[in-house]
Amino acid sequence: MGTRRYGEIDMRTMRSVGLTCLVSALCLHAAGARAEQLRASVVDQTGAPVVDAVVYAMPIDMKVKAPVSKRPKAIIDQIKRRFVPLVSVAQTGTAVAFPNRDNIEHDVYSFSPAKRFELHLYHGVPAKPVMFDKPGLVVMGCNIHDQMIAYLLVVDTPWFAKTDARGQASIDNVPGGAYRLAVWHYRMAAPEQRPSRNVSASASADEPAAFTLQLKSE
Amino acid sequence: MRFKSLRARIAFVVVLMMLGAQAAAYVVISSVIERNAVSNAQEQLAVAERVFRQVLSTNAEKLTQAATVVAADFGFREAVATHHESTVVSALRNHGSRIDADLVILAGLDGKLIADSRGYTHGSQAFPFRALMQTATHGSERSAIDVIDGRLYQLVAVPVKAPLPVAWVAMGFLIDDRMAREMASLTSLDVSFFDQQPDGRWSTLASTLSAQRTAHINPSDVADDRYATRVISLTSTGKPVVVVLQRSLTAAMAPFHRLQSTLLVITLIGVLLSIAGSIVTARSVTRPIAALKHFARRVGSGDYAEPIAVSHQDEIGELAQAFNRMQEGISHREHRITELAYTDRLTGLPNRAMFSDRLQQAIAEALPNETPFGVMVMDLDRFKYVNDALGHPIGDLLLREVALRLRDALAVHSGLVARLGGDEFAVLLPDSDLADVERVAIQILKALEQPISIEGQPVDVGASIGIVTFPDNGVDMNVLLRRADIAMYVAKRSNAGVARYEERYDNSSAERLSLMSELRRAVEQDQLLLFYQPKVDLSTQTVKYVEALVRWDHPTRGYVSPDQFIPFAEQTGYIKTISYWVADKAIRQCAMWRDVGIELAISINVSARELIQSSLPDTFAGLLRKYNVPAELLWIEITESAIMDDPNHAIETLDRLHALGIRLSVDDFGTGYSSLSYLKRMPVDELKIDKSFVMGMTENRDDETIVRSTIDLAHNMGLKVVAEGVESEAVLQRLTDLECDLAQGFHLSRPLPPDRLEAWLNSWHEARCVTGLR
Repeated sequence: MGTRRYGEIDMRTMRSVGLTCLVSALCLHAAGARAEQLRASVVDQTGAPVVDAVVYAMPIDMKVKAPVSKRPKAIIDQIKRRFVPLVSVAQTGTAVAFPNRDNIEHDVYSFSPAKRFELHLYHGVPAKPVMFDKPGLVVMGCNIHDQMIAYLLVVDTPWFAKTDARGQASIDNVPGGAYRLAVWHYRMAAPEQRPSRNVSASASADEPAAFTLQLKSE
Repeated sequence: MRFKSLRARIAFVVVLMMLGAQAAAYVVISSVIERNAVSNAQEQLAVAERVFRQVLSTNAEKLTQAATVVAADFGFREAVATHHESTVVSALRNHGSRIDADLVILAGLDGKLIADSRGYTHGSQAFPFRALMQTATHGSERSAIDVIDGRLYQLVAVPVKAPLPVAWVAMGFLIDDRMAREMASLTSLDVSFFDQQPDGRWSTLASTLSAQRTAHINPSDVADDRYATRVISLTSTGKPVVVVLQRSLTAAMAPFHRLQSTLLVITLIGVLLSIAGSIVTARSVTRPIAALKHFARRVGSGDYAEPIAVSHQDEIGELAQAFNRMQEGISHREHRITELAYTDRLTGLPNRAMFSDRLQQAIAEALPNETPFGVMVMDLDRFKYVNDALGHPIGDLLLREVALRLRDALAVHSGLVARLGGDEFAVLLPDSDLADVERVAIQILKALEQPISIEGQPVDVGASIGIVTFPDNGVDMNVLLRRADIAMYVAKRSNAGVARYEERYDNSSAERLSLMSELRRAVEQDQLLLFYQPKVDLSTQTVKYVEALVRWDHPTRGYVSPDQFIPFAEQTGYIKTISYWVADKAIRQCAMWRDVGIELAISINVSARELIQSSLPDTFAGLLRKYNVPAELLWIEITESAIMDDPNHAIETLDRLHALGIRLSVDDFGTGYSSLSYLKRMPVDELKIDKSFVMGMTENRDDETIVRSTIDLAHNMGLKVVAEGVESEAVLQRLTDLECDLAQGFHLSRPLPPDRLEAWLNSWHEARCVTGLR
């Protein structure tokens, strides 16, 4: 259930950051005339599909230009003393709103080097969203609810996706070219060593890139 | 075990039992106490362990709380996140000081030390509790005991979350001697902490004990008699750490030992009390026994003065009553025995034994002040004759009558009358001088002079009394009694009735005694002589008879009268020798006179004692044959009393003498109690009238009547009559007138030796011839 809902929100988020700019990662044409799709499949060390793994693609070919779009936005809700979604991914410079859907106050903070902030106790939607202008992992918590935790991976690329319950992720609207495809998961045993591989976005490639992650138990 | 006294035995048994009971109680109580003490100590240890664990858990909680607080503090997390080190250290110290934590440490997730409240700088130093961190990560145990830099800490580790764990906060309390002391004060135990070295030895980390003591503790082997010990393993992430709780059994036992001491004291007091109690009890038993013992001794020594007091109603009381009854019985019987021993059965008077006792007593009482008192010895006159003539029953009645009269006579005096034996009585007169005693003596004599009638028969009895007085006549009982006896004999001899002792009597009696021994010598040495007194035939004026009379010509004393030695010779039995001597001399003289043509019949005196000798006739027959003298020339004179002593024997002897042809003459006729019936039966030829009648017959008509009656009696019985004691011509003439046959006396001739008798005979015959011629 929860997984499904994350998926929905995920999809909406995707749309909100303007997925229309993105093309299929697998079918890239010169000068972005054609959008390709990049796909990935993530399992853990036991072979089980990994949900909420972030897959993002960095263009190796310097000719690939990321489409210039207006400031992307994202939302991380607090519902029933939980951050929703648990895992988010955003391009550098994304402003993330933290709407409080509970009838109690929350105090969202982060001591992560990528973004240090604190939203003092508040109801509803804070006046200003938080700008994440540095790449890196931001772990957020609520100062008064220790169990509340949210992960936001800020990446310097607009091409990213999260695996679904089947461990499948696909990055659409990717211009054709060579990319380095990397995977991260918040339970990874070695978070600094994100598995990655070079892929090319072309129509001919129809097999998703397969990743196996070493996860810590929850 | 032998005890001399019942008391000791009772006390011993009671004390022994008491000791046994006390010792058993002591042993049982002591062992219970001992067990209690040990189990108490164990219980204490168990409680202490719970307390100790509780304290640890409380401390852990405190530490956790404080650490959690600090780890959750936003500012602290911020400081940690921003690596603001000095802020972090001050925050750690601040939170540590809230709970007096001895150690607060911040460490990275990688185990690197970030900050330390003790002031160590961070760096490469490793966080010392990685194991704890790991266990804490897994949430199983956040608290541990561990050794850091050689010191023991109780630690907790709490993660710092931002919101993921970014670091660890560890807080700890130092476990040192102070902590051990606190524990000790909570549990009243000795608390020591040890850790085990890699080589297996244990080293002390903290303790309430001295180092010397802890050195001896080996947590692997804690068996020790002096301590109850419990070893608790502590949760440690490093080397094994144990805490050793110890309870000194000595200390644990101390109150019990005090209890034991008290018990011992109580036991001792109990024993002492039981000793005292048993002695008192035993005494309550033995004291009456001792009293009974003294009483029995008293009774044994003859003191029946008072019965023993019976104060108990128990067995001892019954015993005491039995003693009293026994005492009464003994006293009664002794009284009876004494009565028998001291009383004369016949008269009821005290006997000689009692008289002696009382006299002895009187002497003892009178001696100090020489208070005079008198003693009389009385002997009845002629009692023997009464006894012989009237028989013993009459004699006994007479004695009783005499006793009665003596008692009556002395009733007004406080004197004691006793019968000494036979017809002998004695009187003790206390507080009396000679005059008093003489008065009493005369009273007694007067009382006895009153006619006495026994079974209708008038009996005339007289008495002779000898008097002595104390202290004039002696202070010794035997002396007094002997002298009273002597005085009594004097009285008897002199017919005075009463005589008081005089010293010269004693001399003469002594003289007599010596005479008795000299008498033997006299016979042996021929000091005895025979004198002859002629009996004159009053009708013919011729002399045909002489009486042989023995004379003693003592070499120093001179002439000794026969009255002085014959009675004693009779008493000693020496008379037999004398009589034989007399008979031999007389018969020989008779034979000698016949040879010279003088025909004289000779009378010799024979005593009563000889008369009953059956050999007497043979002796005389032998002598007559020896000197060839016809039996008709031998006359034997016997006194009335000699015959009356034993008339039957006497008559038998006389018959035999008579059968030999020997003539018999009754001497002293009229003085005894001759029974005419005996006289009739006896072969008597002659009566000799006692000189007491003859001497006074011319003045006293009664005497003359007796003489005349006797002459008539004799003549009527065909007997010749001889009058003795003719001392005057008038008497001679009167006797001639009364036709008395023969006369004998000083008027005619004294007893003369043979040669002088021959001369007297010649002159007598010449005178007769002259007269005849005239």
